[in-house]
Amino acid sequence: MSALRRDAGIALAIARKDALSELRGRHATVSTLFFAAVVLLLFGFALGPDAERLADAAPGLLWLAVMFAGILAVNRLHLLETDDDALEQLALYPVSRRAIYAGKALGGLAVMLVLGIVVLGAVGILFAVDVAGAVVPLLVTIVLGAIGIAAVGTFYAGVTVRLRAREVMLPLLMLPVLAPLLLAAVKATAAAFAGDPFGELGAWLQLLVAFDVVMVVAGAATYGFLLEDG
Amino acid sequence: MMTRVLGAVALVAVVAATFVALRVVPPDVNQGEAQRIMYPHVASAWLAYLSFGVTALAGIGWLWKRDLRFDAVALAGAEIGVIFTAFAIWGGMMWGQPVWGVMWQWEDPRLTTTALLLALYVGYLLLRRLTDEPERRATRAAIVGIVAAVDIPIVHFSVEWWRGLHQTATIGSPDRILNPAAPMAFVGTLLGMLGAFTLAWLYLMIRRYQLARAEAAREEAARRGHLLRARIIELTE
Amino acid sequence: MTDVGFVIAAYGVILGGLGLYTLSLWRRLRAARDRDDEAR
Repeated sequence: MSALRRDAGIALAIARKDALSELRGRHATVSTLFFAAVVLLLFGFALGPDAERLADAAPGLLWLAVMFAGILAVNRLHLLETDDDALEQLALYPVSRRAIYAGKALGGLAVMLVLGIVVLGAVGILFAVDVAGAVVPLLVTIVLGAIGIAAVGTFYAGVTVRLRAREVMLPLLMLPVLAPLLLAAVKATAAAFAGDPFGELGAWLQLLVAFDVVMVVAGAATYGFLLEDG
Repeated sequence: MMTRVLGAVALVAVVAATFVALRVVPPDVNQGEAQRIMYPHVASAWLAYLSFGVTALAGIGWLWKRDLRFDAVALAGAEIGVIFTAFAIWGGMMWGQPVWGVMWQWEDPRLTTTALLLALYVGYLLLRRLTDEPERRATRAAIVGIVAAVDIPIVHFSVEWWRGLHQTATIGSPDRILNPAAPMAFVGTLLGMLGAFTLAWLYLMIRRYQLARAEAAREEAARRGHLLRARIIELTE
Repeated sequence: MTDVGFVIAAYGVILGGLGLYTLSLWRRLRAARDRDDEAR
């Protein structure tokens, strides 16, 4: 029991350290948000100007923008470590590997949540979909999606931390794994926008939860090996 | 020597199974000749999944025992798995065009899952190629392989749900639904092709494993050579 | 393309691919083993 509490404390400390670094270098977070906005704009140009088509596509565009920007965000969270071999230093401490993973993932989660909410708002404006009418299910979807992306992203960012060609390897490794999350999140979002006419929202959210659980467990279980000789 | 025998047997089996699939078994009542593609397509898909299962298990073996031979098995599984995955997708497309009228169907969970499988394991192979130190490479590969394997059932399940909740027409037209003229012959041929391909798979796995071990030995020798040379330079300076 | 064409395309690529991969494995194995002999 106390080991768990100690681990949680360590995780939070790491998350806070990352969050503080992020906030101090605030422009990095803001650039990621702007990247997402630009992506949405380009989607508008690519698929528009028919408002109905854009409204139909909105759930997909939302999650694509979140995922692409998420890759940048997750990438950066681990860059903070490579600069002075901080990750290796961290590995030397007698700290539970799971705690380190949880800490980094929590940092990633915070960024992903901000990203998700901002993109949700932008999509509501740009593609004329009713966000306010379904705000609770939408937020739940955002949270679940953010958890999954943070879990998977943190894991693969750790894998590629000192890898050659990591700018392309990180998305190349991450994105296929995220396919079910993308699918479920888009479906859930679309159902939420439409008022859940077929009652499928619950099923998709369950799938998201299952994905999140599996990925968090897998990530936490294997992250330790990375720190040892990854 | 035994491997060579296995290879010969596999070759004969594949040729025989192909002959049966193309000339002996009657065409499907609805799908016609195109249905014959199912035999190597299904066999390839089965072996792709088997290969990646081997890769994941071998990865666990490495993490547990730290024996690089496990890593060699993992590499063999991944490379051969990618090849059979490519075959499965190709077969699926060649079958899809005459039967569905299109080479690709988003609603088919097997096709989309297999495409994702390809992406996952090409990524795996690239990751390996970009890492030079053997132990680090083995560890990175192992955990990526495990996560990829864990992802596959989720992918399959979610695509099936995706298809199920889609309220439009079923895949293709009903009159193209599989209807073997001789069901027993169909099953028999499928199993025969599967068996033949599995023998070929086993042969290829063994050879690829041997290749991996040979290359690992060379890598190790080169590394020791460098160390030795560096040492000599140190001592003579 | 007739249905038979697709069948040929399917079998051709799959069986041909198996053959080519087998040949490439043989070649790579021979190269690796020759280099091993050289090193000794």
